[in-house]
Amino acid sequence: MNKEELLTTASLALLELEEGEVDRLGEEIARMLDYFEMMTKLDVDGLEPTTHAFQKTNRLRADVLNNNNNNNINNAFNRNLIMENGNDVEDDFFVIPNVL
Amino acid sequence: MKDIDGWKSVLTDQDRAKKYREYVTGWEKKIGSLLEWKLPEAGKIKSSEGILASVPFAVKDNIAVEGFKLTCGSKILEYVKAPYTATGVANLQKTGALVMGKANLDEFGMGSSTDNSALQKTNNPYDTSRVAGGSSGGSAAAVAAGIVPFALGTDTGGSVRQPAGFCGVYGLKPTYGVVSRYGLTAYASSLEVCGVCARTVDTTRTVFHAIRGMDGMDQTTIDYDPVSPEVKTVGVLKVEEGSLSEEVAASYRVSKDRLNKLGYAVKEIEIPAMEYVVPAYYTIATAEASANLARFNGMRYGLSPIFAESPDDLMRYSRNMGFGEEVKTRILLGTFVLRSGFQDQYYVRAQKIRTLIRQELDEIFTDCDVIMLPVFPTAPFHHGQSELTSFQQKQADVYTCLANMTGSPGLAVPSTLEKGLPVGVQFMAPPCGEERLFTVAEALEKEFPAPRPAGYSEEWRA
Repeated sequence: MNKEELLTTASLALLELEEGEVDRLGEEIARMLDYFEMMTKLDVDGLEPTTHAFQKTNRLRADVLNNNNNNNINNAFNRNLIMENGNDVEDDFFVIPNVL
Repeated sequence: MKDIDGWKSVLTDQDRAKKYREYVTGWEKKIGSLLEWKLPEAGKIKSSEGILASVPFAVKDNIAVEGFKLTCGSKILEYVKAPYTATGVANLQKTGALVMGKANLDEFGMGSSTDNSALQKTNNPYDTSRVAGGSSGGSAAAVAAGIVPFALGTDTGGSVRQPAGFCGVYGLKPTYGVVSRYGLTAYASSLEVCGVCARTVDTTRTVFHAIRGMDGMDQTTIDYDPVSPEVKTVGVLKVEEGSLSEEVAASYRVSKDRLNKLGYAVKEIEIPAMEYVVPAYYTIATAEASANLARFNGMRYGLSPIFAESPDDLMRYSRNMGFGEEVKTRILLGTFVLRSGFQDQYYVRAQKIRTLIRQELDEIFTDCDVIMLPVFPTAPFHHGQSELTSFQQKQADVYTCLANMTGSPGLAVPSTLEKGLPVGVQFMAPPCGEERLFTVAEALEKEFPAPRPAGYSEEWRA
């Protein structure tokens, strides 16, 4: 993978690499991709892809409220505990930094 | 009396609790296995009739426990508090067990040494200049040091079994889906599972049965439908000369001799697709990681800058400041293999190889009840990358990531001490064959129980 490809990939992943990282990570990624090339030696014709260990189809559930009941408090999903993690919270909203 | 019963009064008896606190403090200064710990006060513990009443345990810090943080060993989540409790942990709490701390790990479970934790260094209890393994290094080290009788970890490519091997304890990766992943911070969803590090086979079994179960909060959980626990034939993986270090090769021979001595029919086996396991595993794991870690963007919670030019910049800054290099490497690799034009070449091909590996193992399990294979090609290595580079550490996942690719259960069992360092050996069984693993491990435990590092003590236990 050349530098341009690496930077495009980084931008798709919303990662901004510093100069030193471009070299260090680029080298490690190139090494891994070379290693992945080994897979092309194998004839995979006739093999179905496995996406999941055991399930062959999606499992559906009824469209009803099904809250986590592992919690100690109120035996229900605790919204306050989630909001406490907000960097900045106003009423029931997360406030994000100013973006111009 | 069962080993685990000796733990039931370490928190409830004032004298013992005091000694226990001193013991944990002493070890933590040396090994740093826990990112956070707090012992409940004796008076505040609710009495319980449960099978693990008042028994303390530790939980890897990528598994949610209400009342503790959930850092995943990452700067991006360093101050995030878990808003709820994972199902596996909640199931244990129902048996009376008490979470005493959160164990260190490689950032988001990515690594084999716990050196990739952005928050703390964890040392091997047998030699503090060496790693405890990873990514559940804190869990394994805490158990080996006698800080807790068991700890929960997660296993995506060997992250419970490898550190268990490095620390001389038992490490179980259950069948995929048998234990709920609800509350586990996702890294590679189709491969990973909550697992157990413990000092004895009996405790491993007790904890496994406590945590497992179908869960409405995890649509990938499956019914536990156990296969017969009987073991007559053990397939022993033929290992090429030179692929194991001298110490691990010697230890592997010892375990094989023990199987013969115990009267098992031992059959040498080969897995032809073995050389493709690691590239296929890393293709799938990084692809899933790139999707799963997209949620960490600093918008609602976690590390974020105080100012940014645009929402995209805000996310880029947060991710750039918050993620370590190994995590970035894997996100980039995963993003690349999923890019349009490359999917067939990498991701789809890897999934087809996954099918082939599964077929080869199914074939082996038609005439072997379990198989034995190494855990890791070397004994615990020194901190840093001077002995094994990051790339070599990934290649070394070959024996463990096999079970994640097929969904089968795997158990690391203490095998020997080599030059004072623990070396483990691994057993794998067909899906829902955990009891077979326990059968063999219990027979081997009589030959070689989990060793004890210098400074290990039980004097404060009942």
